[in-house]
Amino acid sequence: MRQAQDGDESAFAEIVRRYSPRVFSVATKFFRQRSLVEEAAQEVFLKAFTQLGSFEGRGSFEGWLTRIATNTCLNMVRSSKRRPEFTVSDLTDDESSWLDQQSASEGLEQPSVENSVVAADLADRLLGVLPPEDQQALLMIDGENASIKEVAEATGWSESKVKVRAFRARKKLREAMEKLLDHKGKKVDSPLNEQVSK
Amino acid sequence: MNEKHITELLDNASIATLSEFELKEVRIHVKSCVSCHKAYEAARLSALVVTSRAQTTIEPAPFFHTRVMAALREQQAVDSVPAMFRLWKSARALVSSMAVTTAALAVLSFVLPGPAVADDQTLSAYSVESVIMDQGSDELSYEQVLSAIYAEEDEAN
Repeated sequence: MRQAQDGDESAFAEIVRRYSPRVFSVATKFFRQRSLVEEAAQEVFLKAFTQLGSFEGRGSFEGWLTRIATNTCLNMVRSSKRRPEFTVSDLTDDESSWLDQQSASEGLEQPSVENSVVAADLADRLLGVLPPEDQQALLMIDGENASIKEVAEATGWSESKVKVRAFRARKKLREAMEKLLDHKGKKVDSPLNEQVSK
Repeated sequence: MNEKHITELLDNASIATLSEFELKEVRIHVKSCVSCHKAYEAARLSALVVTSRAQTTIEPAPFFHTRVMAALREQQAVDSVPAMFRLWKSARALVSSMAVTTAALAVLSFVLPGPAVADDQTLSAYSVESVIMDQGSDELSYEQVLSAIYAEEDEAN
């Protein structure tokens, strides 16, 4: 670390090699295309190299780098336009049948690998309507089971801000999904409905 | 729970993190509340897609660090150019004028023919004459002043 701070390029190359998986993991929360993830990760390491002098060693280096990665990715996402609201007409056949299949079951079992890709595609498009900060908070807390404190450390936000963002994101996503299901004409198999129909 | 809608509970935390007790209560409530049933279904599907999305992984390519180091060197090279450019911008006028002067002196010294050499006599006469002319053009010498005064007194006598 000290050698890298003194401008030793080979020492920095070792840092890149060691911490690439972590930076890729953060960037993958924001982007799913390999080219974008690599572009973001490269940007993160270039920033880290120029800011190495400011790392005082108080926290972990990985935590410091994670924060740079998160902020860099957030800036990249902010600079791209947010997508308009996702509607039922945007659903692919695979996504539509995945929703049918999942609506029929009541559990929270994870889909198969094949279906995971479809679910991730659907998530991407639904999350696209949220501000990038809200997306990040939701993916970390609900997707990775990260604690509020861990998200606060990774992003530099206060814990209350993380809570608010996660709540708002969860609510918006649920409402978007509800609207999607409504438009799709899904009949919720409510016993109340069954009673009414009987 | 039966009288209270569950949407706030669904939005406060991931459905996957609800305790067994909470889930049981939710399920009881949604059986009798259509709007909450729809909200619960949407929350359940949302939780599934978010988890699937979070599990997406992309591993770094084997030579990713080489690419980063190449980009770093490229950036350092680009950063050094503006500094040189700024230096050139501020010194450009001085350097240009010095170059022009040097070129002009070189032309005068080596290309243009020098003046024809005159003989020593003419040269020294000319020099003496020019010196006297220069001295006398602006002010009178002490002797000239004295002679002028005495000449006036002689005329008066």
